[in-house]
Amino acid sequence: MNSLKDYFHTDWAAMTATDWVGTILTVVIFLLMVGLYVYVLRPKNRDKFEVNKHIPLDDDETINSGDSNG
Amino acid sequence: MDAAAEQKYDYGVVRWFTVMAVVYLVVGALVGVYIASELAWPFLNFDTPYITFGRLRPLHTNAVIFAFGGCTLMATAFYTVQRTCATRLWSNKLAWFTFIGWNLIILSAVITLPLGINQTKEYAELEWPIDIAIAVVWLSYMFNFIMTVHNRKTSHIYVSNWFFLGMMVMITYLHVVNSLAIPVGMFKSYSIFSGVQDAMIQWWWGHNAVGFYLTAGFLGIMYYYVPKQAGRPIYSYRLSVIHFWALMFGYVWLGAHHLQYTALPDWTGSLGAAVSLAMIIPSWGGAVNGMMTLSGAWDKLRTDYVLRFLIMSLAFYAMSTFEGPVMSIKTVNALSHYTDWTVGHVHSGALGWVAMIAIGSIYHMMVRVFHVQLWSEKLVNVHFWTATIGTVVYIVAMWVSGIMQGLMWRAYDEYGTLAYTFAESVEAMHPYYAMRAVGGMIFLAGSVLMLFNILMTVVKASSEGSVQRARTATATA
Repeated sequence: MNSLKDYFHTDWAAMTATDWVGTILTVVIFLLMVGLYVYVLRPKNRDKFEVNKHIPLDDDETINSGDSNG
Repeated sequence: MDAAAEQKYDYGVVRWFTVMAVVYLVVGALVGVYIASELAWPFLNFDTPYITFGRLRPLHTNAVIFAFGGCTLMATAFYTVQRTCATRLWSNKLAWFTFIGWNLIILSAVITLPLGINQTKEYAELEWPIDIAIAVVWLSYMFNFIMTVHNRKTSHIYVSNWFFLGMMVMITYLHVVNSLAIPVGMFKSYSIFSGVQDAMIQWWWGHNAVGFYLTAGFLGIMYYYVPKQAGRPIYSYRLSVIHFWALMFGYVWLGAHHLQYTALPDWTGSLGAAVSLAMIIPSWGGAVNGMMTLSGAWDKLRTDYVLRFLIMSLAFYAMSTFEGPVMSIKTVNALSHYTDWTVGHVHSGALGWVAMIAIGSIYHMMVRVFHVQLWSEKLVNVHFWTATIGTVVYIVAMWVSGIMQGLMWRAYDEYGTLAYTFAESVEAMHPYYAMRAVGGMIFLAGSVLMLFNILMTVVKASSEGSVQRARTATATA
């Protein structure tokens, strides 16, 4: 346990401005990612996203794309 | 014949990018087979500096990544952005500038690299005047794409365009920073980075070239061409959104895993490996999303040879995005690093994923932009099997060779001295180097068949006047 504590030890006093900017930015982006995952995977929002999956197939193409090479 | 599409969209530049991509596939694979053969049979150097491994290897990587991969990305991005945004390119002239500029850059690489004019940065070997040209042409490509999206007639921007745009933005940033150099002559410059910073920047670029150029860009291809060829929508649009953002967030952290056990701070390698492992989840999510698109229609693989390329590429994508993170773990890296295992891993991604998805998309587009059926469907099937068998032979040879190499290099006897000399390990590699060259030859043979089929299709379209007819016909849709 002690070694784990040592492993995660941080000398906060030695943090430079660059270190703080990087740390804060990373944590903020990580939280935004978590928020995005919750928003996208929320069952209520399902149709809002899934309706867009048909865009490539709704382009009035006159070739049957399911045929062998066509 | 889709006359409506021919009249509605700018297909001319797409046609040229598509055909040139196939030409560069053959050239890049040919140089690759030659240098693989040089490693197996060194007399092929012929004591000529211009064709030694050291000079031809960057020519091979530039030809396959930037010439074949670049032309494919430009053809597919210009094609899909028009079709999914229901509008023509913002500027057809600018697209032609991109085509001519990109091909002149490729030509300059073909001239300078065999002459030994080289910045010595992996996957960024071209000297500073060419680097500036790359930035200008790349920006023209991106600006045209953004403006076309801006002019769209649809309310939503389809996810394939997100992947293309993510690639364009990140590659601009990566290329400019990695190429920062002080010129000391017309063909000589020194990087502004040195020592461990240079190494870090090199692999920040190197791995993100894989992550954004060879993965995000080609995922843009996957999200359009797999649903389109299968004739069914992508399995989960929500999964594709998560796939995109996780990839954009995660990939930029990985570069340091190329520098385990070096002068780089230890924690950077550990962080790179940790995020690499986390990346298995979105990568497999994307691969499953592509494959499950065929859910309920797997029988199409029996008759649709183009679809076979697209689905097989996803199998290789899943495999190499699992193998990469495993290789980044320090314990595994201690064995795999600097060995042929890395070369095998790269080629399972390059031949299995990138080339196969590109080939599938090219066959798909040929029918639509030239308005004729392919000259020979049977050849597409033969190509599929040669590409698959060639790739498997290549990567199996390199796996066996690499693991043997790693084990031989670190074996020691009871006195603590090395059990094998370096020369002995090289000798042990010979059969696998020969096997790798054979695998490459099989893949190359398939590529030559593809070029033949594509050129014959162009000849067929020309003799039938199909493009001209599509331009002048009364549109039915």
